[in-house]
Amino acid sequence: MRFHLPALNHGVMDPAPALYMIRINGHLGATVLLAFPAMTSRLQGAETVLTGLLDRSALYGVLAEVEALGLDLLEVRQLTPHRRSPELGDSRSP
Amino acid sequence: MQVQRDQHDAQQFWLALLDAVRQAAATTSSAEPPAATPDFNAPAMVDRVLSELADARGGITLVIDDLHELNSPEALAQLTRLLMNLPPHVHAMLTTRHDLRLHLHQLRLAGELAEIRAADLRFTELETRELLDASGIALSEAGAALLHQRTEGWAAGLRLAAISLADHPDPERFVAEFSGSDRTVAEYLIAEMLERQPPDVQDLLLRTSLLDRVNGKLADLLTGRHGSERILLELEDANAFVESLDPERTWFRYHHLFADLLRLELRRTLPAEVPGLHRRAAGWFTLQGQVVEAIRHTQAAGDWPEAARLLADHSFSLTLDGQAQTIQALVRAFPPGTDHPELALVRAGGDLVQGRLDEAAAYLAVAETHAETAPPDRQRRLRVAIASLKLSLARRRGHLAGVIEQVRFLASPVTGQSDEDIALDRDLRAVALMNLGTAEAWSLGLPDAERHLREGAVLAREIGRPYLEVGCLAQLGFAYIFHGAAMPKIHPFAMTQARCREAIALAERYGWGAEPVIAPALMTLAGTMVWLGEFDEGERWLRRTERALQTDTGPDIRLLLHQTAGILHAGRGRRHEALEEFSAAEHLGSQLEGLQALASQMTGWLLATQARLGMTGEARACLAALDDERASSGEIRNARAVICLAEGDPAGALGAVRDVLDGTAPVLGYVTVVEAHLLAGLACRELGDLRAANQAAERALALAESDRLVLPFAVTGSRELLEALPRHETAHAALLTDILDVLHGASPAATEQSSLPPAEELSPGELRVLRYLPTNLSRPEIAGELSVSPSTVSTHVRSIYAKLQVRDRSSAVQRARELRLLAAGRTR
Repeated sequence: MRFHLPALNHGVMDPAPALYMIRINGHLGATVLLAFPAMTSRLQGAETVLTGLLDRSALYGVLAEVEALGLDLLEVRQLTPHRRSPELGDSRSP
Repeated sequence: MQVQRDQHDAQQFWLALLDAVRQAAATTSSAEPPAATPDFNAPAMVDRVLSELADARGGITLVIDDLHELNSPEALAQLTRLLMNLPPHVHAMLTTRHDLRLHLHQLRLAGELAEIRAADLRFTELETRELLDASGIALSEAGAALLHQRTEGWAAGLRLAAISLADHPDPERFVAEFSGSDRTVAEYLIAEMLERQPPDVQDLLLRTSLLDRVNGKLADLLTGRHGSERILLELEDANAFVESLDPERTWFRYHHLFADLLRLELRRTLPAEVPGLHRRAAGWFTLQGQVVEAIRHTQAAGDWPEAARLLADHSFSLTLDGQAQTIQALVRAFPPGTDHPELALVRAGGDLVQGRLDEAAAYLAVAETHAETAPPDRQRRLRVAIASLKLSLARRRGHLAGVIEQVRFLASPVTGQSDEDIALDRDLRAVALMNLGTAEAWSLGLPDAERHLREGAVLAREIGRPYLEVGCLAQLGFAYIFHGAAMPKIHPFAMTQARCREAIALAERYGWGAEPVIAPALMTLAGTMVWLGEFDEGERWLRRTERALQTDTGPDIRLLLHQTAGILHAGRGRRHEALEEFSAAEHLGSQLEGLQALASQMTGWLLATQARLGMTGEARACLAALDDERASSGEIRNARAVICLAEGDPAGALGAVRDVLDGTAPVLGYVTVVEAHLLAGLACRELGDLRAANQAAERALALAESDRLVLPFAVTGSRELLEALPRHETAHAALLTDILDVLHGASPAATEQSSLPPAEELSPGELRVLRYLPTNLSRPEIAGELSVSPSTVSTHVRSIYAKLQVRDRSSAVQRARELRLLAAGRTR
C-alpha cells in the first residue's frame, strides 16, 4: 500500500516543463557547469548561454544556484510556450 | 545570530534567536535555558522574545545574518510581527542575499527602515585602492583600476583577489591575466586560490567541502591524514573564507560561495569518492549522537534504505527533542516514487503531532504490515514504536480500550541490546505512561491514572525529559479534579490546586508556561477557581489556557475548555453564554469515544441551563433521548429537577433528586449531591415547607464546607434560600457569609493591587479566626465554632488587628478583603 500525500508547500500545480534560455556574463568553467546538470551550455562572445527543459521548481532552483555562485545574470527567456492548462490560464513570460 | 544553512525548522530558528537575545541582555533569570518542545507555539515564542528585549537594560541591536536561509514561511511571518513591535531601545539588522517576504512596508513608509542594497555595497575605485593598501598589496593605480573594473566592485570578488595577491610574486601580471580572462569572477579566483595551496591543504578543502561545519577530527577522517586542525587554524588566520564558530576554535565553517565552488570542484575531480566521504561523515556524526547530520549525509550518499532506517529509529526521540519540522524536511528529501515502509512510521508520528488522526492511522497500518516481514532484530523496536504511536492515537480519540490494548509491552521489563536501544525504550515507556494515565483519567480509572502518571513523571525526570515530566504532572492535576470530586476527603479541591500549581511552576522554569503541554493543568486550575467562587481569577487562568492552546491539540482538550468556560458563565449568571459553551462541548463530545464518565455532567449542565433559560421544551426532548443508564445518573437527575422547577412542579423536582440524596444514584462527585440538596431546598420553599428548606440548605453547606465550594450555590440561584437561613442556626456561618458575598457580586478578589502590603503574614490560627470576623458571631461564639478558648480568640484578634494595621472589626474585614486574605483560606 503506497501513500502519496501532496507536499504541504505546493499550492499550485507545476506547469509542464518548458525550454528556457539563461544568459550569464562571463564564461562558465567545467566546475561551475556541474551546478547546472539539466542544462547545456555554449559560449557566445564574453557570455555563456545555458539552455534546458525545466519545470517551474527546476527553474527557480537554477536561479537560486546562479545567485549562490555569485554569477552575473543577464537574461532569462522562455523559448517554447507552455501548453495551456485550464487551472492556470496564460502564463507566458516575455 | 546567523541562520543555519537551509533552515526549515521554525522552532530551531526562534530558539537560537532567543538564546542570542538572552545572552546579550544578560538578564539574570532563574529560568532554564530555552528548550525545544514537540508542539511549538510560535506566537508565544515571539512574545517571549519581546519580553526579554523589553526587560533588557540599555540599547540592543539584533543582528540576523543569512536570513535567506530561513525556509519557513511561518517563521518569516512571526519575524515580521517581532520587527513591527520592537521596543524603542532595540534595533534590528537583517542581512540577506535576496529580498524576503517580510512585509515591512509600514516601517518603510514611516521612515523606520533603511535598506542597504548591492549598489551601496559595491566598492568604489578609491575603496578598492584602500583595500589593497590595507592588505599590504603593492599594485599600480592602473592595476587597481583594472581590478576594480573586472570585479565591478563586488566585495567578495575583491577579497578573493586580495588573498591571491597578498603573497603573489607578480601582482600586476595576476591582475592582467585575471582581467583578460572571460571566466566568471568567483570561479577564476577560487581556482587560483586553490591552486596556490599546498596539495594537502587542497585535499582537505575539497574533501571537507561537503560538510556544513568542519572540525579537525572529522577532517582527519575524511582526508585519512592527521593535522587537519592545524591547517584549519592557519587558513582562518590567513584569509576570511574560513571562520571558526566557537571561542575554542574547534569548529569551522567556509564562506558559502567558497564552499559551493569547492563542492563542485570535488565533484569534478573526485566524483567516485563523494558517496564514501558522505558515509564516513555519517558514521562520525552517528558516533557523536548528532543524528540529523548523520541522516543528511546518509541521504547525500544515496543510501536511502539506511537513511530511512536511521530516521525511523530516531524520529521518536527527535520529536521529543522538538525537531518535528526538521524530521519533516528530512522525510521530504527522500526521492518520490520510492517506497520505504520504515518511513510510514515517521509519517504517522508527524501526522499525530499535528492532529491529523486519520492519516496517522493509515500510515500506522502500513508500518504494521512492514513490521511483520522485518528481520527479527528490528522487529521488537518497530513493534514497540508502533505500539507507542497507536497508544497516542487512541488517547487522542479518547479510546481507552484501544489504549490498554497497546500497553502489553509496558509489562515486559526494559531490555535492549545497546545503550541506544535502552534510551529509546525508556523514552517510549515514559510517553506510554503519560498517554495511559491520561486516558485512564478520562475514563475515571483514577487510582490507575494517578499511579501511571506519577510513574511517568519519575521516569521522565530520570531520563532527562523535562517535557514529558511536565506533561505527566499536568495531566495528573487534571486527573485529581475527578479524584477529589469523588469523595469529600480533606480539601480535595485544594489538593488539586496544589498539584496544578506544581506542574505549572515546573513548566515555567523551562519557559513552557504558555505551551500546550501545560494546558490541562492551567485549565483544571481555572476550573477549581470557578468551583470555589473565584470567578475573576478563574477567568484569568482560562484566558491563559486559551493562549496556550493556539496550536490545535484536538477535540479532547477543547471540550474541557468549553466546559470550564461554561461553568464560569453559569456561575456569573450569564446563562446564554453558558449555553453556547455547553453546546459547543456537547458537539465536540460526539467526536470522541469513551466519554461516558464526563458525558453525564456535560449533558446535565446543558439541560439545566436550557431549563433556566425557559427552554424547557428542548430540555425535555433531550432528556427523553437519553438512554436509561445515562438518565439515571445523579447529574441528569439534578437536571430533571431543574426542569421541573422551571415548569413550576416542585414536587416533581423533589422526586427527581430523591435517589441522589439517599445515595443510590451514581454521581461523578459529591458536588452533585450538594447541588441536589439545594434543588431540594428550593423545591421545599416553593411548597411552603420552610423548615425543610433550611435543613436542605444546611446539609448543602455542610458538604461544601471542607472545600468551601461556592459554585453550586451560585448556579442554582439559591440566594433567597440561604438568606432565609437564620445565622445562629447554622454551623457554617463563615462559609455562608462568603457565599452570599459572591452572590451579591462583591467579589473579594475584585482589587488586584492593595495599597499597603500586610506587615506580617497571618498564622493559620489567625486566618481561621479571620474568616469568622465578617459574620455576626461574637468572640465566645467564634471560640465555640473553632473549639478553642475565648481568650485564644481574643489573642488572635489582637494580632490580626496589629498585622493588618486596623483598630476595629469592620476595618479588619475590609482590609482582609483588599488583601484577599479571606479568599486565601479557600484557595491555598
